[in-house]
Amino acid sequence: MIQAKTERIAYIDGVPHEYEGGDTLLNFIDRHHGRGQVPTLCDAPQLEPYGACRVCSVEIAQAEDGPRRVVASCHTPIADGMHIFTESKKVRRLRRNIVELVLTDHPLDCLTCEVNGNCELQTVAAKVGIRDVRYPAGKNHLDRAKDLDAAYMTSDLSKCINCNRCVRACDEIQGQFVLSMHGRGFDARIIKGLDESFKDSDCVSCGACAQACPTSAISDIFASKSIEATESTRTVCTYCGVGCNLEVKTKGNEILSITAPVDAEVNHAHTCLKGRYAFKFYNHPDRLRTPLIRHNGHFEEATWDQAYDYIAKRLTEIGKENGPDSIAGISSARCTNEENYLMQKFIRAVIGTHNIDCCARVCHSPTAYGMQQSFGTGAATNSIDDLDHTECILIIGANPTEGHPVTGARIKQKVMKGTPLIVIDPREIELTPYATHHLQLRPGTNIAMLNMFAHYILESGFADEEFAKARCEDWEEFKAKLRALDLDALEKITGVEKEKVKAAAIEYAKATAAMSFHGLGVTEHSQGAKTVMYIANLAMMTGNIGRPGVGVNPLRGQNNVQGAADMGCQPHQGAGYLPVEDPENIKLFEEFYGRPTSTAAGMKIPQMFEAATKGDLKALWLMGEDVVQTDPNSEFVADAMNSLEFLVVQEIFMTVTAQFADVILPAASFLEKSGTFTNGERRVQRVQETIEPLEGTKPDGQIIVDIMNRMGYEQPDYTPEGVLAEMAEVIWFFKGATWENLGEQGKQWPIREGGVDTKILHTEKFRRGLGKFHYFEFEESKELEAHGSEFPYILTTGRLLEQYNCGTMTRRTNNTKIVGEDLLAIHPKDAKKKGIESGDRVRLHSARGEVFMHAKVSREVKPGILYTTFHFPELMVNKLTSHVHDAETMCPEYKVTAVDVEKVAPDAGKAGAEIVPKKAAVTQ
Amino acid sequence: MSKANAINYKKGKEPHAREYRLVFKNVDRKGWDPGIDCYLQDGGYRELKKALLMDPVDITEDVKKSGLRGRGGAGFPTGVKWGFIPPNNTKPVYLICNADESEPGTFKDRYIIHQDPHQLLEGMIISCFATGANLAYIYIREEFPEGARILEKAIEECHQKGFLGKNILKSKFDLEIFVHRGAGAYICGEETGLIESLEGKRPYPRIKPPYFPAALGLYMCPTIVNNVESLCNVKHIIAMGGDAFAKLGTARNTGTRVLCVSGDVVNPGYFEVEVGHITMGELIHDLCGGLKPGRKLKAVIPGGSSAKVLRAGEKFKIKKGDQEIEIGIEDIPMDFDTLMACGSMAGSGGVIVIDDSRKASWILNNINEFYAHESCGQCTPCREGSLWMKKITDRITRGEASPDDVETLESVAFNIDGKTICAFGEACAWPTESFVAKFREEFLADTSEKYDDAILNPETELAAAHLSSET
Ligand SMILES: Cc1cc2nc3c(=O)[nH]c(=O)nc-3n(C[C@H](O)[C@H](O)[C@H](O)COP(=O)(O)O)c2cc1C
Ligand code: SF4
Ligand code: SF4
Ligand code: SF4
Ligand code: SF4
Ligand code: FES
Repeated sequence: MIQAKTERIAYIDGVPHEYEGGDTLLNFIDRHHGRGQVPTLCDAPQLEPYGACRVCSVEIAQAEDGPRRVVASCHTPIADGMHIFTESKKVRRLRRNIVELVLTDHPLDCLTCEVNGNCELQTVAAKVGIRDVRYPAGKNHLDRAKDLDAAYMTSDLSKCINCNRCVRACDEIQGQFVLSMHGRGFDARIIKGLDESFKDSDCVSCGACAQACPTSAISDIFASKSIEATESTRTVCTYCGVGCNLEVKTKGNEILSITAPVDAEVNHAHTCLKGRYAFKFYNHPDRLRTPLIRHNGHFEEATWDQAYDYIAKRLTEIGKENGPDSIAGISSARCTNEENYLMQKFIRAVIGTHNIDCCARVCHSPTAYGMQQSFGTGAATNSIDDLDHTECILIIGANPTEGHPVTGARIKQKVMKGTPLIVIDPREIELTPYATHHLQLRPGTNIAMLNMFAHYILESGFADEEFAKARCEDWEEFKAKLRALDLDALEKITGVEKEKVKAAAIEYAKATAAMSFHGLGVTEHSQGAKTVMYIANLAMMTGNIGRPGVGVNPLRGQNNVQGAADMGCQPHQGAGYLPVEDPENIKLFEEFYGRPTSTAAGMKIPQMFEAATKGDLKALWLMGEDVVQTDPNSEFVADAMNSLEFLVVQEIFMTVTAQFADVILPAASFLEKSGTFTNGERRVQRVQETIEPLEGTKPDGQIIVDIMNRMGYEQPDYTPEGVLAEMAEVIWFFKGATWENLGEQGKQWPIREGGVDTKILHTEKFRRGLGKFHYFEFEESKELEAHGSEFPYILTTGRLLEQYNCGTMTRRTNNTKIVGEDLLAIHPKDAKKKGIESGDRVRLHSARGEVFMHAKVSREVKPGILYTTFHFPELMVNKLTSHVHDAETMCPEYKVTAVDVEKVAPDAGKAGAEIVPKKAAVTQ
Repeated sequence: MSKANAINYKKGKEPHAREYRLVFKNVDRKGWDPGIDCYLQDGGYRELKKALLMDPVDITEDVKKSGLRGRGGAGFPTGVKWGFIPPNNTKPVYLICNADESEPGTFKDRYIIHQDPHQLLEGMIISCFATGANLAYIYIREEFPEGARILEKAIEECHQKGFLGKNILKSKFDLEIFVHRGAGAYICGEETGLIESLEGKRPYPRIKPPYFPAALGLYMCPTIVNNVESLCNVKHIIAMGGDAFAKLGTARNTGTRVLCVSGDVVNPGYFEVEVGHITMGELIHDLCGGLKPGRKLKAVIPGGSSAKVLRAGEKFKIKKGDQEIEIGIEDIPMDFDTLMACGSMAGSGGVIVIDDSRKASWILNNINEFYAHESCGQCTPCREGSLWMKKITDRITRGEASPDDVETLESVAFNIDGKTICAFGEACAWPTESFVAKFREEFLADTSEKYDDAILNPETELAAAHLSSET
């Protein structure tokens, strides 16, 4: 017999069980009897205990026959030796009476309700044994109007049971505060915003409320709580680097809806509207469904064999004639690790060149490079869960609520609970009203700002000398440089008062644990990699490394941009970041791949384009990248594409770039294939096929394996498990990864033998031994130096929550109903000067080109700064952006372009915005 | 702190000889005004000066010794409540004065605020000093705009005299007090609902555990919520010492209490008496001038509308010394413990006297209407149940109920009582439980079996018929 009192024992209906600290009665009962033993209505695992419906009531007593008390089990903490009676006559009657009351105001049309069979009210009513309702029909709310106009969210509040789960989901998970209860008592009802429709409210369609609602009162256009689906598959979102887990519900080969698993460590029942709702692109009529070969300027349908033969023949010819370095490949951060690994293997081992790069070049290459220089590892030092332990959050050049919505929402929650937030950003972002400090600097002056920041940490005596001395190098030199700074000059450069910077620096430095997040506002600058090293400086000089709640945490843009770099889709480093020019690595690669390896690093993306226009690069293979729309200076990129002899594009849609191709290979989308993605916190997670590839398409990995075989490099049959096993042999930090042991939650690399993963890096020492301080001076952007006087405004670009990058996928979903165009944000003062009002059409031009768009007068930018997004091909904002790039990594300076703007006629520039491929134009 | 006759009161407003005016000493006083000069001339803020020289721990000890029990409704010992602030607390502590006074039948706090605001402020400043609060709020109901203005002016005066602000009377103690106006809901008087409201949210009461205000109150910091009258008493405890205060009233029921009598008596009004020193009968017949001519006592609701009703003719068993004795309604001494032993409570001090001209169902329906309107709607039993209780009593008063309805009415009440987040659940269930139990025959007499099988829809058919018959 187990002893009570000392052993953490409590009794459920007389049977002793061990409980855990912090248990509520409900957790405890759920753990031992499964969820549902005790009925619940207002409780949901993803929400804080609430205690309002009272159907979870149980009786408790301190002794088996002691006096009993009725309590709500969902919020009552357990105590030693407590006796819980879950099915006493009293609680059974109580539960029945409560549900009966609820049913007096609930339409009893279950058979035609979308959640029939998966309705918590229905289940609870059945469980407590409701047979009839004693109360004669009276005043009720059955005639409430439905709200069905929004892009995704729906409501039918006649089904509402006032449990407040939706309100709490919106408050506690998303932090949007759209929903509330209005009125009191029986008249209490759910409202959106100021009693408006979902469409008119501030709702961001995250779907958290729909998932939390126990009935169909709040739902979505996909009826995601219905039980119509026959299968459900867990996979990972393909949009941003948060890496949310998704539960995809299918019937046959059709996807019905997506929800968020409650147990997912990454996203805990949350997603943004992209992950949950923007999936309808998958069977859009525009999907490419057959290989296409260009004949006389026109695309003609071909069989896979024809396409492969043609590609193999052309690549072999070009390789023979011009050498392997005349061929290059660009891999995709949207594809799986396995596919990226194969792509670089193909280029290196089969083509024989290191001309392989990926879109990390245009986003986080400075992060990978910079953090390698400072720490030795080019990846986030900590995990998103560290937010639970941090005491201060620093966000630099990132807009998490739009770019990384689920992480953004978590940051917001944390900040609302009192954690200080520092935002360094030229723009007002959604988080700035919550921030303790907003340093609104001029775009392109990050280094000047961080110099001031570091200076004040040192000057105020908050530097962690001990850490800096023991674990880092070049500290003394760095300090000397900081002391010598001219702060007045820096104040002028950044446009932010010294005192403000000082206060923020002290806030960051004095916190016992401070965590930084950065995004493309750091990297996409001419001093991008230097800024990354500077963020590392801040962490090292305050000892914010190697512990919970600290670190340098890049918010990786695309779902697998971390993975693409890890896999070696970089011209200077092979799989596992092994430098390709190192003789030892050359030997290793040659042995492993059984082919001679080039000894010189390959070309980075901008160099490839340069080489193409010069005629040095003849053939290019693009896997899932729309370089013409997304790389800077579109006209120039188009030129490069036109100059190529041979262009192969693997795509799911006919993108702007695909139109330049000689061969287009139709690929399967992430929903139709398996593999792994690595999110921004180094978490390698399993992507699983939810439906078969659309007829006529193949997974990208299969395509690469087919072509390797076709070109005489025999590969085993393509399976993600098999490729992962091969990766584990080459990449040290994947050593312990197997398809099996990645499990539901994935693992954070380094994954050691036996599958032991790593949440926090650099705990004892840095990967590179000592952490290295780097000092840099601010340099003005070349773009502004060259064109600043002629084009007096600074254009900076970014992303919106609702659209993803060039929008290839999201534009083919209802997201477009929410945001249908890119707008130009301009400060009221500038707008007045230029006679521009919101909604006016404007011409925006730079030294390279012009675009036309509509203006939005807004204080989100300071005077002199303009801001827009780059989601829509009608606009092609990148016609404006420049060639200037990060000195170390060639990451383009998207964030600073010298421009000017004028108001134009409402229909100006409507025609002829498109870039037309030469090959098509010549022959048509 | 003197017997009432030592001070001159306005004509016609003189306290009854059996009263003991302590917190109401200055209410209706001749020549008295709410300004600080008047208060100072009367020796005001002397207790503050005294308290600031004491150790805060000793003040709390004194309040514990005084036996002061909360005057807001629950009667919880004030000193014990203060002692619940976690000892190793590092967060700011807040003190909130609950001036929401919205329990039907209660009208005492408003007189203190209107006529003697400095007494409250002095009590508050001492209480803040004792509990370590540097920020305090007075949450006053929206319906008292004048009271709010008076308090704001009084706070301003305190600032000028150095009783509020930084380094109060050179004691190194800082305090700011803010007046916060409520938005017109009964539930804002419930302390956790009040805290939510003060935070700018909907006043949904919080679950306890974990949100006990003394540990996780305003902005999740330790917070003491006390009623206006309770806080005023703190001043008098400092003046006379906890032990002397405890000698007022009776053991465990110390001090004085302002009773607010309304209903069927000749002279309704407020009376401050030593707790337990007068009986219900004395209150009605001596202090209030008796029942209206020719009327008989039917019932009394002794502590605000949520207290259980006591029926005339009922026999109550109470303990006297070691003995158990049986008493009638008029013999009940007006104190916390006896009223509890009689199955009701002293509550907020609002005594509602009911004579035989009233119908029990009419009174209950009136009360139920209030609770159905005021339920915040968070808990299912309360939200749905409070309305159903009202619907059923409404039907009974119209003579359209079946005998079964009475049983249903009772079962709805039992379903709420003790099964909700806040004590509003009990507050709304107890009237129904007690009225039905004590006047069952009367209720049943108003029902008819002819309604047994009828599908009643009070909002539509019958109600429509009812209305048309009225016009
Ligand atoms: C529904 C409800 C309404 C209440 N309204 C008031 C009120 O108006 N004034 C008040 O002082 N206490 C009210 N209370 C009691 C408070 O919750 C709290 O117990 C009291 O303010 C504590 O002060 P005390 O200890 O000084 O009595 C109410 C309680 C409930 C459950
Ligand atoms: S979808 Fe998200 S933002 Fe919109 S109301 Fe629901 S929880 Fe709030
Ligand atoms: S809409 Fe759904 S979640 Fe919200 S209160 Fe109603 S039933 Fe509960
Ligand atoms: S886009 Fe990012 S935040 Fe949104 S669901 Fe996908 S992974 Fe999560
Ligand atoms: S008991 Fe009633 S008033 Fe109190 S929280 Fe619940 S619903 Fe609101
Ligand atoms: S589930 Fe516990 S009160 Fe609703």
